[in-house]
Amino acid sequence: MSRKLMLAAVLALWQSFALAQMNHQHASEAACEDAILRCATKVTPAISQDGTLWLAWMAGGHVSIASSGDGGHSFSAPVQVTRESLNLDWGPDARPKIALDRSGGIAIAFSIFRDKAFNGQVLTTRSTDGGKSFAPLRPITPNNESQRFEAIAFDRSGTLLAAWLDKRNRVPALEAGQKYDGAGLFFATSKDGGTSYSDARLAAENTCECCRLALAFDSSDHPVVLFRNIFDGGVRDHAIMTFGDAATPGELHRVSRDDWQIAACPHHGPSLSISAAGTYHVAWYTNGKARKGLFYAHSRDGGKTFSDPLPIGQSSKNPSRPQIIAGPQGTAMIWKEFDGEKTTINLMTSRDDGESWSTPKVISSTTDASDHPLLVSDGQRSYLSWMTKADGYRFEPIEDEP
Amino acid sequence: MKGQFLAAILLLTFVPPATASDETQLKPFERGSWQQLLRSHRGHPTLVQFWGVTCGPCKVELPQLGEFMKGHPAIDVVTVSADLVPDLPDATRSMLQKSGLSAADNWIFSDGFADRLRFEVDPAWLGDIPRTLLISRDGAITTIEGSAEIAELEKWSDAQLAPAR
Repeated sequence: MSRKLMLAAVLALWQSFALAQMNHQHASEAACEDAILRCATKVTPAISQDGTLWLAWMAGGHVSIASSGDGGHSFSAPVQVTRESLNLDWGPDARPKIALDRSGGIAIAFSIFRDKAFNGQVLTTRSTDGGKSFAPLRPITPNNESQRFEAIAFDRSGTLLAAWLDKRNRVPALEAGQKYDGAGLFFATSKDGGTSYSDARLAAENTCECCRLALAFDSSDHPVVLFRNIFDGGVRDHAIMTFGDAATPGELHRVSRDDWQIAACPHHGPSLSISAAGTYHVAWYTNGKARKGLFYAHSRDGGKTFSDPLPIGQSSKNPSRPQIIAGPQGTAMIWKEFDGEKTTINLMTSRDDGESWSTPKVISSTTDASDHPLLVSDGQRSYLSWMTKADGYRFEPIEDEP
Repeated sequence: MKGQFLAAILLLTFVPPATASDETQLKPFERGSWQQLLRSHRGHPTLVQFWGVTCGPCKVELPQLGEFMKGHPAIDVVTVSADLVPDLPDATRSMLQKSGLSAADNWIFSDGFADRLRFEVDPAWLGDIPRTLLISRDGAITTIEGSAEIAELEKWSDAQLAPAR
């Protein structure tokens, strides 16, 4: 072999190696690999009573937080919640959760994959010094069966409620020779702001195991959980439960009869917001026999019955990832649409507590991967919070439109 | 000098493709891969399963698909791992191997913009897995959302192979 040929061979091999490395990089939903906000794939906002925006994000195998006192223009130096890089739950419906109490405490919860079989574990921590440092991570429950899709929120009395999907009851069922579908909806409460949690308790059995939960409080401060359930015959339609109090699960009601019979992971959970008037606003995705796409409905009787599902978005553009928020200036609903190249965020607003809705309009767009669009309120206005790979993090007020 | 070149070639040959010795090959599924996949199986009855290592129902279905492949050598079996979890190839290979699917035509999502990959396969697909596409000799595609019933696959397979008998 001549030297030239050898050189060519080395170069060719090197190029293919470099290409493989590039492809690896290219395959990531992240813009970069560090733990900084710009590299995040999932960013979750919360606004404290003094109007400070807090973000919790996943990037580079870490969960970090930072705050902004100027509406997202600039952020404090990030603080890592995790001390070592973890195998975080990167599923499409997973994200770190952040809840703020009135005394400035910050509760964090998120899921990791604890083993090679991708069994999940929910970890929690809390900061009592305004986000400067976090306590060592603690599992939300000592049980070792798979847990994912946690949701956390403080009620008005300062009790932190956590709900998550948990497969612990699968083991005894299988040992008894019984079939076990999905996972259990479990919950626990924390009276110390998220430092420790009560024993886990079951709220509902056989729920869909791979969709995020939606959690809110009604006007009487009762926790309300909206989730994809598994109804008879393997039908994965949505159910809602209003708790008696933070320790007492309530009756399960069906949100709509979409009749989506599927043994699959839709990776597509619902959204819930409850207005000051007590109206439950819900939005969800289904691909059922009765209807397909994104839908909205409301309940004015505490989640017992719901209005007829209202289709959302242009069905030719795959409406997805709905989010809804009820604020003092009205109710806003956003979702994604995709035309094969560009993702848009679309907005509809209602000024009559969900009876009628404005014409949809595009409020943001991107041409690469992006997180779910989220809505957050400071008690007065609502804001879009959206992480995009190409254009970074966006935080924009929802313009109030009649 | 020649020795150094040889050493460089050896290093580059044996270090980067660390997975070359694995019997389960994974092809990167990128923009355009779907059309490439369809072209390479054109004229053959083909079963394409989209799945993911973090999907519970997929874990149950995959070994059944391995059994199906063993019993139906005339059907091309293709798998596409559609999860976007970092460091996924090893876990994907391991599950395919355990399920008897090493010899299938195996692919893995390799573009961070998964929405666009899915759109190329089916504009109406929002990412639920498992999802099985049955492609007949003439290119007609039947989509099964969720876990496929083996009886249904058998029925389709019989229909595909009937004209050849």
